[in-house]
Amino acid sequence: MAERGIAGPELELEPEAPEMNERATTIANDGLLVDLEGIGFGYGSTPLLSGLDLRIGRGERVALIGPNGAGKSTLLHLIVGLLRPSVGRIRVLGRDCRSEADFRVARAGVGLVFQQSDDQLFCPTVLDDVAFGPLNLGRSPAAAAAIAERTLAALGLEGYGERVTHRLSGGEKRLVALATVLAMEPQLLLLDEPIGGLDRASEARLLDHLCALPQAMLIVSHEQRVFERLGTRAVVLQDGRLLDAELHWHLHRHAHVHARGLGSPFHVGDGDIF
Amino acid sequence: MVESWQPDWPPSKLAGLDLAGLQRPLAEREDRLAAFDPRARLILAALLALTVVSLQTANAGLVALFAAGAIARLGGVSLRRLRYLLPLELLMLVLLLTLPFSVPGTLLLAVGPLVASREGGALALLILFKANAVVLILFGLVGSLGAGPAVHALARLGLPSKLCQLVLLTLRQIDLVGDEYARMRLAMRARAFVPQSNRHSWRALGWLSGMLLVRSLARARRVADAMRCRGFDGQRRLLWRFRWRRRDTLLLLGALPLLAGLLLLDRWGWSGWADWSG
Amino acid sequence: MAHIPDGVLSAPVLISGALVSTGLLGLALRRLRETELPQAAVLASVFFVSSLVSVPLGPSSVHLLLNGLMGLLLGWAAVPAIFVALLLQAVFFGFGGLLVLGVNTLNLALPALLVARLLRSMLHRLAAPALGSELDPALGAPVPVKHAEHGLSAEVSSPRRQRRAFMLGSAAGILAVLLTGLMLAASLVLSGEAFWPAARVIAISFIPLALIEGLMTGIVVAFLLRVEPALLRLDEVRHG
Repeated sequence: MAERGIAGPELELEPEAPEMNERATTIANDGLLVDLEGIGFGYGSTPLLSGLDLRIGRGERVALIGPNGAGKSTLLHLIVGLLRPSVGRIRVLGRDCRSEADFRVARAGVGLVFQQSDDQLFCPTVLDDVAFGPLNLGRSPAAAAAIAERTLAALGLEGYGERVTHRLSGGEKRLVALATVLAMEPQLLLLDEPIGGLDRASEARLLDHLCALPQAMLIVSHEQRVFERLGTRAVVLQDGRLLDAELHWHLHRHAHVHARGLGSPFHVGDGDIF
Repeated sequence: MVESWQPDWPPSKLAGLDLAGLQRPLAEREDRLAAFDPRARLILAALLALTVVSLQTANAGLVALFAAGAIARLGGVSLRRLRYLLPLELLMLVLLLTLPFSVPGTLLLAVGPLVASREGGALALLILFKANAVVLILFGLVGSLGAGPAVHALARLGLPSKLCQLVLLTLRQIDLVGDEYARMRLAMRARAFVPQSNRHSWRALGWLSGMLLVRSLARARRVADAMRCRGFDGQRRLLWRFRWRRRDTLLLLGALPLLAGLLLLDRWGWSGWADWSG
Repeated sequence: MAHIPDGVLSAPVLISGALVSTGLLGLALRRLRETELPQAAVLASVFFVSSLVSVPLGPSSVHLLLNGLMGLLLGWAAVPAIFVALLLQAVFFGFGGLLVLGVNTLNLALPALLVARLLRSMLHRLAAPALGSELDPALGAPVPVKHAEHGLSAEVSSPRRQRRAFMLGSAAGILAVLLTGLMLAASLVLSGEAFWPAARVIAISFIPLALIEGLMTGIVVAFLLRVEPALLRLDEVRHG
């Protein structure tokens, strides 16, 4: 990578002291989409998350960073109630979520896009799959089909409705998986490694679409290009807790871009780096 | 029922799919029969099952049930595992409710025009004891071995090699398919799917099974290719080695007089009250 | 309820069941080539997992037997697949028993074989043109994927074909489960006159089971016709 000179800038993350959290959270105190407080969770007896706090306000696109196995996907699953914390409080869209019934309501407003599109797509055709969510929310078949068509069109997938999902390419599947979630008209998107395994063209296409979306997002990714394009702030999951991250852009020619100096940490355009 | 949250991992549990019995040995407590060769345990299980099934009095059946319970305990089968017996008890309930009325004999009680007989009641109890006893024996002696050793022991005892390969491959694939099913079910739940008795749910569940088949066939082809690349010619060598020791022989020899004694008591010991020989 | 536990049936029924299913199993294993084992194992595992899924029905939920679908897709290979599933269920889940394994296998496998005999050739014909379109006869070589896909969606997804696939699957599911119910009741009755009422209760309880099984099998077969017709004609693909 170093030989290629300006190949890819590396992202260096420096967790800040916990008291710095205040800065980020006070901004969005009004109308929080997600408010996690003191979450603890573990598989079996080993704790994975402990004392974790997270708040996401409207319009925020939060990048969630952390090493493999730190519990990033687990955190996403906790937010929509697919897993339950051992301790802690979960508020989604301003409602306390404790029972399965509470989370059922929450799932209508928070869309989780899985890491593997194949986990999410199981219907014979694209249209069936995109209409599945709206049907679960009680829409009539006709209404669900209309919503599905509209969602597909918005993602540039006109004419895909009758295609067999199983035979789509990886990039197409990823877009369709996004469509299946967007069709439920969520206020918050949880994206688990949205561009993992995609080629550059598919990746660019997906990022363009994500950029254009009005929804707040929580994005798990290892790819710097993702938070560069999407993120408004970043948090690091480390030792079971979330820390606000300050971002430095490292170019291999030792050009440092201190994100903070630019006002909003992620206003580092593509052109500056490549 | 499917949607209720359970704290256990792996995810297959979360999707209401209980594969725990296969994924690790049924035993959650110490298996105190572990010292014996799995083959001896298998043979013993077969002998015991054969004896239990040929019992003809409810008293002997009750003795067998207690003995089977003791074996299950020795094998380390936990009480929590016994919930697997529920479907069995449903069928037992049907028999308990119908047999007393359909077997002629001395009056036990009369409900309107229906007459229940002592003999029918005894037969129903006998079946209840025998069915549960056999399952407990299987749990304690075979289930607690875990799937892998049990199948290897079966292979050593002469189950056709092709069938053993099939069982072993199937066991491995059940794990994979189960996980895949669980992940897809989780994703459906994330999209607000709640299974109900309606067309939408049935269609979704049918499609889910269909998609599992499609993906699995593709994986099967990859598995076959990968196995061929590693020199698989259909004959997989079994890795497990068992050691038959003197204690195994003693176990079987010791069991024989006990079984014979139970059979003798069954035929001649408790004549009268619950004798049913058809 | 399709699993009879030990201790219920009489010795003659147990022995005949064991003998017949051993014979069937031997025949089926001879037909199954060793290189096909992974495929048989994977499909057997899908059936195993799918049969553990609870399908809501009215206020309660049921588990599917899937022997009709197995017969349709696997043909003879359904016999070892069913046997393996029953063996695992008996030993690790306590469904059924040890000595009744033969009878239980027979009760599920014989209907599967009947379904295979009656309906499999129809299914192969239904799925055939779909596969043919992947090969361009004029060129004798696979046509580009895009073309194949269009050919497929045009021919196979025609509503008429889908409906026929659904009907075929439903027939397989209903037939297999009803037959299993009857054989189950017969195993009981043959073991003793006293089982008549219980056998009747069980046979009646199989009617709703057969209906939901037919519906689900129909849905799966129509799905497969649309998504992966190759699964509907496994033998021909293999030998051809």
